[in-house]
Formats: sequence, C-alpha cells, structure tokens
Amino acid sequence: MIEISNLTKYLGKKYVISNFSFSAQVQECVGVFGESGAGKTTLLSLIAGAIKPTSGQINIQGFNTRTHSLQAKKAIGYQPQGGLSHPQMTIKNLLNFIAAIRGFRGAEKRSQVGMAAARLELLPMLNCPVGLLPLGVKRRVAIAQAILHSPSLLLLDEPTEGLCPAERLKFRGLIQSLTEDMTVIIASRHYGELADICTRALVIANGSLMADTSLSQLQRSSRHYRAVTLAADSPLDLLAMAVIPGVAGIEEDRDAPGTVTVLAMPGHSIFPSINALIAHRGWNITSLNLEPGRLDDVVHHLSQEASS
Amino acid sequence: MRLLPIVFKRQLVSFASSPSTYLSVAVFLVLCAALGLHANHWMERNSSDLQAFFELHPWLYLLLIPILSTQLWADERDTSFADTMNTLPVTTVERVIGKFMAAWVVCGIALLLNIPLVIAVNYLGMADNLVITSQFVASWLLAGSYLSVGCFVCALAHQRLVILLLTLGLLSTVSGLSSILDALEHQAPLWVVDSLISLDPIFRFSMMDSGKLTLHDSLYFISMILAFLSATTITLNYKHS
Repeated sequence: MIEISNLTKYLGKKYVISNFSFSAQVQECVGVFGESGAGKTTLLSLIAGAIKPTSGQINIQGFNTRTHSLQAKKAIGYQPQGGLSHPQMTIKNLLNFIAAIRGFRGAEKRSQVGMAAARLELLPMLNCPVGLLPLGVKRRVAIAQAILHSPSLLLLDEPTEGLCPAERLKFRGLIQSLTEDMTVIIASRHYGELADICTRALVIANGSLMADTSLSQLQRSSRHYRAVTLAADSPLDLLAMAVIPGVAGIEEDRDAPGTVTVLAMPGHSIFPSINALIAHRGWNITSLNLEPGRLDDVVHHLSQEASS
Repeated sequence: MRLLPIVFKRQLVSFASSPSTYLSVAVFLVLCAALGLHANHWMERNSSDLQAFFELHPWLYLLLIPILSTQLWADERDTSFADTMNTLPVTTVERVIGKFMAAWVVCGIALLLNIPLVIAVNYLGMADNLVITSQFVASWLLAGSYLSVGCFVCALAHQRLVILLLTLGLLSTVSGLSSILDALEHQAPLWVVDSLISLDPIFRFSMMDSGKLTLHDSLYFISMILAFLSATTITLNYKHS
C-alpha cells in the first residue's frame, strides 16, 4: 500500500527527516509518535506530496510520488495540522470545490460531500464560513475533505487536538470504521488517546525512525509496564511495599499527594501481592490501577536517546 | 488542463465576492471616463476612434492590476489551505493559468463596461468600429501582460502590501520606460536604446492603439504573458520542492 525507503529531507543544511524507511498495508492504523519538532508533520507532508523529498522513494499503491505524483495524490487524503480554513468559503463551498478537484461532478459530488459532512457531523453548519469556525470544527472540516473521495491512504496530523472528550470518543469510532477500508497514518503527541486505535507505532525523534513496533510491544518497553498506581486518604507504608518481591521501585506523585506508583521488575507481576498487602493492612484505598505501560515515557526516552 | 475550469471558476467567484474588485473596477471606469474623455478633450479632437480614451490605459491599469493581483493567491495565504491545495491532484500550471484567466476576464469585463462609450460614438455618427475593436483588444492584451507580471510577483511575495507595492513599482517602471529611454538616448549606444524600445510595452500598445492590430505586436504581448506565467509556475514549483 505505502512503501517508503531511505527518505531524507533537508531544510537548508539541516536535515528534518533522515533515512526513514517503513511500509504499511491496508487495514493498518499506524501512529507516528514523537515530541514537538521531531519531524512528524514534515513526514506527513512528504507522503502527501505537499513538499518534495531531498532523496529517497515514496510509493503509494505502486505509484512513485516523484514520477507519478498526480496518481499518488489521488490515492491520498490529508488532514493538515491546524484544521482547514479559508477567508471566504463556507464549509459547503469548500467541500464542493475539493470534490470537484477530486473529479466528482453533479449528483455524485453532492452525495460524496453529503456523506463526508454527515460522517463528521457538519451538516447543521454547512453554510457557515470556515474562517469563523472554532478550531475543533476546522479540524473536522479538514478530516471531511480528506475522506470525501474514500482514499486508500489517509494521513491525519494531530487530529484529536482541540476536540472535546465526547468528540474524541466519536473520532475513535470514525477512525476504527475508516481503518476497515484504508491505511490510516496518524501523527500525534497525544499517544495515550491513540493507544487503542493504532495497530502499530512508529516513534520518530530528530527526524529518524527510533522504533517501529506494535503498540503493546511499545507499552511493554515502558518502565511503568505492569506497575501499580494506588491512591489513599491516609499515608501508605512505602517500606512494606518496597520489600514485596519483584518491586523495582516506588514513585510518589508530586502533583497528587497520597498517590504512589509501584514499579515492577521485568517479568514480575506485583499486582496480586500489593492487593494482598492492602487487604492485610486494611488501607483505605481510593484508586488502584494496573498500568499497561506509559507511551509518553517510552517516546521521551527514545527522543533523549536520539539527541544524545 | 482538465481541472483548469474548476480553478478558473473558483477564482472568478472569489473576485466576485470581494468588495475591492468592485471598488477598483469602479475607480478604473470613472478615471477612464474622466481623464480619457474630459482631460484629453476627446470631443474636440473630432476623432473617429477612442485613441484619446485608450492612451491613458497603461497608467490607469496601475490602479486596477495591482489590486486584482493581490487577490490572486489571497486564499492560499492561509497555510492550511495552501498545504491542502498542494496535496490535491491539481498541477501548478492549472492553478496559475486558472487564476490568471479569471483575473484577465475581470479586466475584460471592466473594459466591456465601457461599451456605452462605443454606443455614444456610434450615435454621434463618426465611429470606426474596426479601429475601436483593435483598441479594445490592445488594451486587453496590455492588461493581460501586466497581470502576468502581478501573478509572478505573487509567487515571490506573500504579504498583500508587498505584492501591491512591488507590482505597482514594476508596472510604473514599465509604463515610464519611454521616459527612461528618452533620457538614455544620448548616453547609451543606439542598439541598446533600440532593443529597449522594441521591448517597451507602451510602444507596442501605442502602435496597436492607433489602429494597427498586427500579429507581431499581439504576439509580443502573448509571449510576455506566457513568459511571466512560466516564471510563476517555475517559482511555485521551486518553492514546493
């Protein structure tokens, strides 16, 4: 579906993407994770054809983006980072214009625009000028124009930023339904929100690919994997927890007093022992969670590794 | 070029929904009538054509063309829209020509709004409609060549004021080239002066304006349009790379 090999992009003398290679198939939802300035947006812009690579190859459905850029662009839907805005056009005019460029005419155009607008819940505001809409709606307009031609490859840049929790929930459902028909690549700094949408994660730092693995594998490499976070009203006996076999350390949450995270050694499960200790001591616990692993920790660690 | 009509139509709608288009066309028409007819004493010349009316067009276009030029890429000043446009299966050539054609049509409409004047000339019974038609064509070709320069400036600069001032500056220089050539006549070699005269659009325009609609002069304006549109396309492609 998409195959990238040795992709490099220089801006002036500084590289922003370096020797990047990966491939993705249909029905894959790939998360591109990285800290601010890591090169996520540049990577998506290169794939979308908004900018040209310095070297390397991008093949989309067998079309090289350099030699067959128009054919490759027909297969792509791209949502820019800040949503989509226009000083004059209404949502309807904007979607009609893009549908016309995508080759739709007459009734087919109306139907495609209607379907995309309905999927993103834009129907009640179709006649509103895009420039006056809030950021969350602009982002939905950007996603609507990206999916209106049912692309084979959908590129989303920070799609959940500016959305309220209810919208994020709906967005999750939308992506899951879109992944059934196409390859979806999502660039984001909000890794946790995408953990149960993405089937695979690419971690990018300083323009280089640091990890290409499944989400569960990435979570497993977190030092918080199988850690137990608990909160209590009264002070906890940290020493009693520290001597439990398999405990690697204890972290106190400075922002939330009374909350501690007990880290587990690799290959150890400490949750049953901590549960037993709580029952034995009769602690008044307000929350108790077994952590799946923190993606932001892993990404931060890999980013530091890349910069050192 | 399959998508050219879509870009053209979109740009035409954009011009139609902008108050500055109406304002600049209105000012152009008022000054055409006031300066061309009144200040140049057209009635007293007892002429069968509208030469007195058209001879000021190279200067009056300095008001219309820079304003139309600033609107050519105005919607793509929004980076999200520009990014999206770059990912759509539309070529830079289609975008440049579509936008240029829309602006040129606006200039054509502005010129056609002078038709009542032609009717008046015919009513007065002294019209040479063939010469008047060639004068209209010459003026439209001149507007096209000026617009192509504006289009190229838009590819170089982003800010409206910079585009306006750069276009105005460039076109003023072109319009005032004959004065510069007069000053150079005794300082520069003759072949340099002759070469510059042959490149002077005002000289070409005045030839056509006097009723001599030659293929030679028409091709000069068309080649100028093609040269600047090509330069615009190359500049935009270079910027995207």
